[in-house]
Amino acid sequence: MKKTLTTFAALAATLGFVNTASASECGDITMAGLGWGSASILGEIDKLVLEEGMGCSVTMIPGGTVPSFTSMVEQSQPDVMGELWPNAAGIDLYNAALADGRMTESAEQSPIGGVAEGWYILPNILEEHPELTTLEAVLARPDLFPHPDDPSKGGFVTCPPGSGCQISNANLFVANDMEAKGWKMIEPGSYAAEDATITRAYDRGEAWFGYYSAPTAFIGKYDLRQLDWGVDFAGQENWNCITKPDCPNPQPSSWTSSFVRTVFTDEFAASGSADVQGYFAARVVPGPVMNALLLYMDDNQAAPDEVAEYFVENYDIWKDWVSADVAAKLQ
Amino acid sequence: MIDLFEFPELSRSVIRTIKKSIDNSFREFSRSYGDSIEVFFYPLKVLMNWVEFALVSAPWPLAMFILAGAVFYLTRNKKLCAWTVVYMIFIGAFGLWEDTMYTLSLVLVSALLSVVIGIPIGIWMSRKDRVQNFINPILDVMQTIPIFVYLIPVVMLLGLGKIPGVIAMTIYAVPPIIRLTNLGLRQVGIGMIEAALSMGMKKWQILWTIELPLSMKSILTGTNQTIMMAISMVVIASMIGVQGLGVSVLQAVQNQYIGSGIISGTAIVGLAIILDRVVQNAK
Repeated sequence: MKKTLTTFAALAATLGFVNTASASECGDITMAGLGWGSASILGEIDKLVLEEGMGCSVTMIPGGTVPSFTSMVEQSQPDVMGELWPNAAGIDLYNAALADGRMTESAEQSPIGGVAEGWYILPNILEEHPELTTLEAVLARPDLFPHPDDPSKGGFVTCPPGSGCQISNANLFVANDMEAKGWKMIEPGSYAAEDATITRAYDRGEAWFGYYSAPTAFIGKYDLRQLDWGVDFAGQENWNCITKPDCPNPQPSSWTSSFVRTVFTDEFAASGSADVQGYFAARVVPGPVMNALLLYMDDNQAAPDEVAEYFVENYDIWKDWVSADVAAKLQ
Repeated sequence: MIDLFEFPELSRSVIRTIKKSIDNSFREFSRSYGDSIEVFFYPLKVLMNWVEFALVSAPWPLAMFILAGAVFYLTRNKKLCAWTVVYMIFIGAFGLWEDTMYTLSLVLVSALLSVVIGIPIGIWMSRKDRVQNFINPILDVMQTIPIFVYLIPVVMLLGLGKIPGVIAMTIYAVPPIIRLTNLGLRQVGIGMIEAALSMGMKKWQILWTIELPLSMKSILTGTNQTIMMAISMVVIASMIGVQGLGVSVLQAVQNQYIGSGIISGTAIVGLAIILDRVVQNAK
């Protein structure tokens, strides 16, 4: 036991040494290896740039949003999460982590453009019912979107349990009086299962109505159409209530403007290489580019690292994120 | 010169073609047979809805009485019966009554399905070595394949909800009962069977009056394992839209509600312990 402890101490000392050394040069960086399309592409782009261009050694630690976020806050590992949706991690937890100085944003901007959350439908229904472009029009026709368990009701596909959007959806469901209008929620349990419901509906020419977010491959692939909320954003106070499970009186509102961040742990923010931090601060993939990459990935069943290579070969925007000599190395 | 350090991979385009052709054939299959597969599983859906309706909509004192009564009837064990009541008070007090009933109905149906499918297959396997050699690797696959590999295709075929949940649970839970039925039957002494044959008993009589009773212990262990496996799938099943305790666990874990996770987790464990004891002590 004692021996194990000494080994651990030695190991910790070595790691500490590596960390201090990395202040001057790049060194070792750990990144959250996130699973969904845009985040996995972003992660591989980062890895490519940091390793090939800046001589870092990058390790991806696989994990979902919540486990990675928790580990970053509590254990300062991994150093960087490329695409964090604070609403998915829990906006209160996120704000607390920022306030406590346990986490830092790379920049006050989203690392990817074209971010949009909302309620979408599959366009296959528009041929016969072209009027279904607004929420109001869809809500008037529950019969067109039968719920699988209870076909007399309309089915609205919400988010997996525990996600921020599940709570917001539930409150907007109440705010729009959807139960009285003949609607019932469909709980998909996970994002993968939700995607499977879209594929299934598309393949069979069935209607689909539910929450979705962009940029994602499915928005382009299945041409999902976002519904017009028909109302303006009804104020931050109302939205704060909508994000809470026990909101007493939610009012109809359009979705709050979604935000996404690249975040560092406190340790990395304090001692990580300034060049690397500068890269993360500058690195923004515009919406159309991300959509094109996601489509490329889907069409070719490409692995994220192949997409990253494709991106570096075929686009130029990344040259603005790094210094000229790094860009030269990458080429 | 062959590179000895990099394994010569297939080219990306070949791998891509293979992956895509699997995807496309699954798509075609889903499009052309999806509806008939749904019809095939319709009786299961009816059974599932019925069990769920009975457990969820029964008034709680009645449900408690019937479940505790069933435990007592099966085991004649007062202590276990008392623990069942304590457990039900616990879940009721913490607001997990309905979730637990959903979970219980799911576990019962998939365990029932596993036993109905598993025991005959186990018997068949014990008769013929060739069948055994054929089925064993299939069981290995069922027990080790990462669940999401087949979970999402099942959702594409059957949509979200209970039926894919029950199917996934059954795929995972049926191997132990098959294996242990097979094992139990193969361990019945040859002398017994020869004696029965010499008395002129028919094959099915031997099976029914000698082999099955003698391997009952093994079959019950298999049933027990099957139920445990089904319960361990509860949280995963909730990832494809199955209601119940799994959802509250997911919800808790996602939000780092450790206390709530422990309470829902305890409810699942309690259910497992009670079902385990009931099967082990069944008289």
